Amino acid sequence: MTPPWVARIALPAALVLLAALALASLAIGDLRLGPARIWAGLLHQDELASTVLWQIRLPRLVVAMLVGSALAASGLVMQAYFRNSLASPGLLGVSSGGAAGAVVVIGAGWTSYSLMVLPAAAILGALIATGAVLILARHGASTERLLLAGVALNALLGAVTSYVLSNFTLTYERNAQILFWLMGGLEDRTWEHVLMALPIVLASVVLWPLGRPMDLLSLGAQEAQSLGVDVRRLRRWMLALATVLTALATAVAGTVGFVGLIVPHLFRLLIGPEHRRLVPLSLVGGAAFVLACDLLGRSAGGLRLGIVTSLVGGPFFLWLLRRQA
Amino acid sequence: MAAETTGVNALEVTAASVTGRLGEVTLSLPRGVLAGLIGPNGSGKSTLLQVAAGLLHSPGSIRWAGRPLQEIPVMERGRMTHWVPQEARFEFGFSVRSVVAQGRYAWGDDENGVDEALARVDLSKLAHRPVNRLSGGERQRVLLARALANGAPLQLWDEPLAQLDPRHVLEVLSIARGLTEKGKTMLFSLHELRAAYRLDIIVVLHQGRLRAAGPPQEVLTPELLNDVFGIRARTGSGLIFELP
Repeated sequence: MTPPWVARIALPAALVLLAALALASLAIGDLRLGPARIWAGLLHQDELASTVLWQIRLPRLVVAMLVGSALAASGLVMQAYFRNSLASPGLLGVSSGGAAGAVVVIGAGWTSYSLMVLPAAAILGALIATGAVLILARHGASTERLLLAGVALNALLGAVTSYVLSNFTLTYERNAQILFWLMGGLEDRTWEHVLMALPIVLASVVLWPLGRPMDLLSLGAQEAQSLGVDVRRLRRWMLALATVLTALATAVAGTVGFVGLIVPHLFRLLIGPEHRRLVPLSLVGGAAFVLACDLLGRSAGGLRLGIVTSLVGGPFFLWLLRRQA
Repeated sequence: MAAETTGVNALEVTAASVTGRLGEVTLSLPRGVLAGLIGPNGSGKSTLLQVAAGLLHSPGSIRWAGRPLQEIPVMERGRMTHWVPQEARFEFGFSVRSVVAQGRYAWGDDENGVDEALARVDLSKLAHRPVNRLSGGERQRVLLARALANGAPLQLWDEPLAQLDPRHVLEVLSIARGLTEKGKTMLFSLHELRAAYRLDIIVVLHQGRLRAAGPPQEVLTPELLNDVFGIRARTGSGLIFELP
């Protein structure tokens, strides 16, 4: 068992880490900025620094944090829902659903109509994927069943994406846009993307009070019901939140794998399985993890975010599987 | 005997059924009785308990303390009735104490009586152990401690004795008796026929139908046991077990 002081300092420690990473993320780049210049730039007293910060680094930072929080929280919710610590948006195909939705509207050229077309399509795609997972693997399903359902769904949605891609080979710009979604990244993110991803904040607020009933649900639906949890309602909220969070993250950053698996898992190992603590920690920790991966990719000469999280997450996942066996 | 009817029944199940698992069953339990549910495997015991606990939908009607189930909000149900599953599947490593404290959810997580409940089932020493690292019998006691912490007036337990050693079987029977003496009503399924004689009322299910209900001496006749279980019963001398 973890000593109680670990649980107590975990959240403050994660917040300090997040702040440090955020600062580093503003400082590091082609133009290196010291704390003083960052301050001046934020207050528009240094024109060059101001442009770099307000046009490039700040929106990228905010999008990265929102994406990280959303994916980590979504993974946490899915793990409680399926009572399986290996469930996550990427492995179950919900991310692919969001990406497929996004790719279809980009391919069709509809994204120019409104800023909200892309996130709406991602949400729709993710909802379809969630529905399919539910049918393929009923709640409380075994790890094997859940993962196989995810494999099948990822392949199917990958086919949709490839179809769109192969049908639009002539328009270079759309293809580049689509490839961006498939690889997942934070390049050229603007305040428009921040706006698109902003509902993540709202979803996080809704998620906050669900921590306690999620504890009860994660030990069994009927037990939870008998203890006074409105299980049907809770489950509907959890599914909706997990899906929307993943979809919004995918809409602004493409498919970014493994965040929803790694972050809740690490914190569960560190402070135990209580969701009242895990919800805020996953939100903060997810943001920190994605920022760290982005910094890593940037300092490795521009490796895209999705590549970095997969390089970090893949081995971690294999380690988890070995540990469970 | 505690079986006499005093006012409203604690539990009334009227014409409840679940397709393929339970035929139409009607049953009522007066307040303060210690009732046992027996029957062969697959006779519908778990299903009946789940229906009575409001966890499985069924036609017919369920009333707790005279109130129709559908009129009771979910949170209040958590304070009125507690159901204990046959088997605990713990995927996550919650501590024993935190699982027992879940029994207080419907009371706003006030943690009243949690430590007493742990002590009552010999789990105080394991309070901080993760539940997914316990033996089957220890897990079952965790669920019982949660039921005690919950303290709802109607307690429905699914085979609480199944995985326990002889000492803990007697302990749990004594706990159950203690609860009914405090006015709570208990219905639990069991296979241990000798333990059944210590209860106030025995309900017998056979092939999804209610076969008999009443005091054990009246219900558990050699004819019925032969009919329902296909076993022969005879009186003889044997050891009688009790707590020191």
